[in-house]
Amino acid sequence: MAAAGTCGTGTRSTGSVVAAASTNNVTSFQRRGPRASGADSGCSRLVSIAGTRPSVRNGQLLVSTGLPALDQLLGGGLAVGTVLLIEEDKYNIYSPLLFKYFLAEGIVSGHALLVASAKEDPADILQKLPAPLIDDSYKKECDEDVCSHKTESDIKMKIAWRYQLLPKMEAGPVSSSRFGHYYDISKRIPQELIETSKWHGFFLPEKISSTFNAEPCSLTSGYMKLLQFIQNIIYEEGFDGSNPQKKQKNILRIGIQNLGSPLWGDDICCTENSDTSHSLTKFLYILRGLLRSSLSACIITMPTHLIQNKAVIARVTNLSDTVVGLESFIGSEKETNPLYKDYHGLIHIRQIPRLNNLIYDISDVKDLAFKLKKKLFTIELD
Amino acid sequence: MLESLLALGGLVLLRDSVEWEGRSLLKALVKKSALCGEQVHVLGCEVSEEEFREGFDSSINSRLVYHDLFRDPLSWSKPGKALPGGPLEALRALDKKTSSGPATIALDSLSWLLHHLPCPTLCQTLHALSRQDSCPGDSPPGEQVRVLGLLHEELHGPGPLGALSSLAQTEVTLSGTMGQASAHILYRRPRQHPTHQTQWFSILPDFSLELQVEPPLESQPRSDPHTPSVDPTTHLTFNLHLSKKEREVKDSLTLPFQFSLEKQQALLRPGLSQATSHIFYEPDAYDDLDQEDPDDDLDV
Repeated sequence: MAAAGTCGTGTRSTGSVVAAASTNNVTSFQRRGPRASGADSGCSRLVSIAGTRPSVRNGQLLVSTGLPALDQLLGGGLAVGTVLLIEEDKYNIYSPLLFKYFLAEGIVSGHALLVASAKEDPADILQKLPAPLIDDSYKKECDEDVCSHKTESDIKMKIAWRYQLLPKMEAGPVSSSRFGHYYDISKRIPQELIETSKWHGFFLPEKISSTFNAEPCSLTSGYMKLLQFIQNIIYEEGFDGSNPQKKQKNILRIGIQNLGSPLWGDDICCTENSDTSHSLTKFLYILRGLLRSSLSACIITMPTHLIQNKAVIARVTNLSDTVVGLESFIGSEKETNPLYKDYHGLIHIRQIPRLNNLIYDISDVKDLAFKLKKKLFTIELD
Repeated sequence: MLESLLALGGLVLLRDSVEWEGRSLLKALVKKSALCGEQVHVLGCEVSEEEFREGFDSSINSRLVYHDLFRDPLSWSKPGKALPGGPLEALRALDKKTSSGPATIALDSLSWLLHHLPCPTLCQTLHALSRQDSCPGDSPPGEQVRVLGLLHEELHGPGPLGALSSLAQTEVTLSGTMGQASAHILYRRPRQHPTHQTQWFSILPDFSLELQVEPPLESQPRSDPHTPSVDPTTHLTFNLHLSKKEREVKDSLTLPFQFSLEKQQALLRPGLSQATSHIFYEPDAYDDLDQEDPDDDLDV
């Protein structure tokens, strides 16, 4: 994992120091012997898996969330082994987009996918993923927008004219194809990309038996089955290092849709004090344990606006690593507010993890709004 | 209005209350879909079969398949025939019966089912009912199964109501003023923005719908939507506004660090601007006007 990566560089550097010292025989540091970390060739240098990169701050292995603007807000990307929780907006229009971006990024980077849903068949979800944009077509989109922005901002910037052409929080198109891609929502992903990718689907209505029996254990049966499924896949495909095969290490991207909704069999959205109110929190705890010990990253969308007990929302936030909330303006009074007229909603970064670090990686900007253009989803300063 | 309600498919939730009852709208929808030639299954829990069939003529009545849970919900009169599931089994049986062709299922009421079944189970069963074939979004609307559910919103807390609304494709809330019923309809199409519509209507005795015009809003004591905004610049001792002439002068002013055309010209033609810089010096009585270098006597 990432820890292996950082200690790998450490051994290399101490090895070189010792090699220099042994010629002079000045120090008493003895080299212990050949590197005992195993036969993997990837251990003595940073683990290089496709679609990942180490963080510039602490060397943590990161994967892209599929939306480079969101990657920038989260400090470079989503750390491997963590959970990204998306709090859904009220009519569930924009959170499936983030979900799809994450999965599409997995397909383009060649990662394995695990899609779990109680509402839609995972095969259907994969068919509706957005198509990746090649670099020059994104540049064309960017230029069109810059032209339309220029005419209105020309008048304003008379004194600070040097700042006129600075982009508003958008990272430019990544020229190398390794980390962070752009997608076109109006087009579907080409079929051959899906076929070449390795994916596993979990669709709850197919997995639960049709007889209704009250479960005595504390986890709802849907959650239990999902955890067993994830654990089997991690073990069989070797994401936790259990089968040391010769093949390349890869990341498993897990996507769970609408967790906590009644379709999973959880009544946390229906009543305030339920008997199985700890089911969701236990699920998240066990899931995080599975993720931390394997090369995987997970995205979960949850309808927190339906959860009746506010204490549960606080517990769920504490049990996830990164929490992003979406608030759309549809149906609320903010829709007619002139301040928000260009945007479709607000995006709140509620929590960012502190992994192997003493400080948080928070960006300075707190007022962020998103808008869904015809083809792209952009996040901008409010 | 009825066609648009039936067009989307999926779950149509009719929320009524004590003042504005929804069973007549439910029966109007049932009649409409029966007239279109579809199979209609009715799960009756709250009223008896005779009362439900009242008002329909014989052609419609012959198309209705009625599953009665009102007369004997706990199946006491048939001790030999075990129906362990009760309402849940009845719902699941409906799922199997409507697997061929377009059909409409009317649940007489979801409130009764919510009181007898746990909410997540009911949501899962409704979801299974309303998505019949493999790709429900792509099949033509006529092939889908429609589930019409009547829900008495005063009987439930915000939890179950929120859970069922998030499942529904169309949600109709009945209200009204002064004897005139209105329906506030929310359409949630799968990948588009939700749209609202408010429609005033009345139901005729033979359960057909008549649309009405919105009644005029007279003498409704509404709070003033806009308090007149207070202009903070009215009573100041200094002037914050610019007149038109002042604005023109301001716009044409060249700022010191702006690289404008005049500055460019001035830099390109240095000769002309020499005349503007002069030094005026008047020597004092004690000043030495000797032009020699005063450092000459230093031995460096």
